[in-house]
Amino acid sequence: MLALLRRFQEMDRRWVFLGMGLAILIPLLFPITLDFEVDERVRSLYDAVEELPAGSTVLISADFDPASRPELEPFYRAHLEHLFRKDVKVVMLSLWDYAPPLVVPILDEVAARHGKVYGTDYVFLGFKPGKELAIKAIGENIPKTFPTDSKGTPTDQIPVMVGYRQAKDFPLLISISAGFPGTREYVLQIQGQYDLKIASACTAVSAPDYIPFYKAGQLVGLSGGMPGSAQYEKLVYPQGPPEGVRLLATQAINVLNLGHLYIIGLIVLGNIAFFLTRRAEATA
Amino acid sequence: MKRSLPLIITFLIGMFMIGEFFIPHYRYRVWTAEFLEWGLILAAAAFVLGFVNLIQVNAPKVARRDADWGYKLIMLVVMIVTMVAGFIAGEERSRVDNLYKWVYDFVFVPLNATMFALLAFYISSAAFRAFRARNLEAALLLGAAILVMIARVPAGESLPVVGEYLPKVMNWIMDVPNIAARRAIFIGAALGAVATGLRVILGLERSHLGAD
Repeated sequence: MLALLRRFQEMDRRWVFLGMGLAILIPLLFPITLDFEVDERVRSLYDAVEELPAGSTVLISADFDPASRPELEPFYRAHLEHLFRKDVKVVMLSLWDYAPPLVVPILDEVAARHGKVYGTDYVFLGFKPGKELAIKAIGENIPKTFPTDSKGTPTDQIPVMVGYRQAKDFPLLISISAGFPGTREYVLQIQGQYDLKIASACTAVSAPDYIPFYKAGQLVGLSGGMPGSAQYEKLVYPQGPPEGVRLLATQAINVLNLGHLYIIGLIVLGNIAFFLTRRAEATA
Repeated sequence: MKRSLPLIITFLIGMFMIGEFFIPHYRYRVWTAEFLEWGLILAAAAFVLGFVNLIQVNAPKVARRDADWGYKLIMLVVMIVTMVAGFIAGEERSRVDNLYKWVYDFVFVPLNATMFALLAFYISSAAFRAFRARNLEAALLLGAAILVMIARVPAGESLPVVGEYLPKVMNWIMDVPNIAARRAIFIGAALGAVATGLRVILGLERSHLGAD
């Protein structure tokens, strides 16, 4: 028995990998749909958008890459859907050089579905290097920081930008953040100085870092990782998605079920084996 | 002069940028915006330096057939091909089909996503081997981790009897002990950053100027 417990604790990690692979693959092949509640932080984010009057303009900082795409793309899509459905205009920029080829086609796709016109209803200003420095500059003067949009049109000639020179001119700034630079830097650099209303969608690993900002009122809403994205999808599509729209996070969150249970099972079994081995060794 | 001039510039610019928080006059903001623009130009120029540095470091190793020279060659070729493709595609490179977008969609995206996806496997293995309740602190950490993990997915909420309480317990863990610990870390780090910033501005910290 003792030998078996030792062998279990020291088993080849490829068996652990195989189990994890199956824990992901099985729910993909045989989907199980379980219901879930919406977190207060995600609801606050949704409510912040709901409070915006039609015709207002928000600033989105899309700072994520293909690695964080499964967690943040579902939020990004649902959020654009929510904004365009409410006739809210979108000014988007990015501090991540990996982001534009990922976020621009989705922006164009969702905008086209709602009949929105580039330049009038939405604009993508492009990528800006400089990290915190770029954030400070966005707080100070957007047309100076982004003299042209991603198509080369001078920013001050773009209809959607008329009347918007600084971050504080926007009623809401949404930071879709996979790390540095992202939500944390927006809060530290310009939220307090300009008293900005900022909402954040971040990866699951960053969410515990940003909860203090939400509790302090520095963020008006927070969506963390895939569960946050799935909850936001639930709020945006209460009757289910329209034809041609897939709820990526709602599907994926149910895949996570087995993965989380598998890791918990491994931890519990590993500890049982550890204590039984230790006790047997102490009595031997 | 070689050391004094950078120290004087650092001091003057640093003090001027701090003044922005205390002098709300619009003329002052014109100048801070100007300095920020200079900073952004410098940040963009860093990409050029990075490009030159990568070639300087890797090209000689490829020429000498050093260890892993093949990987370095691939890196240099892909870097140059992607850059040239981006220049050729122009402003519409993220929108229309072109070589730059092809490299991004079919080389960068799968590689980047794969690297991150591998974490799921390594985390499961690491959690199995390292997460042991060897003492009270480790047991508390273990218990909190398991509760948060199960409560974050619908399976936790669907558990009979305890299901409805799990999200409440998770939120308490995230809102109370988590915030208390993180605020302490934030405040400590912020004080450290202020101290380091002041040392740089006042010229007490000079390591960023290099050895000579």
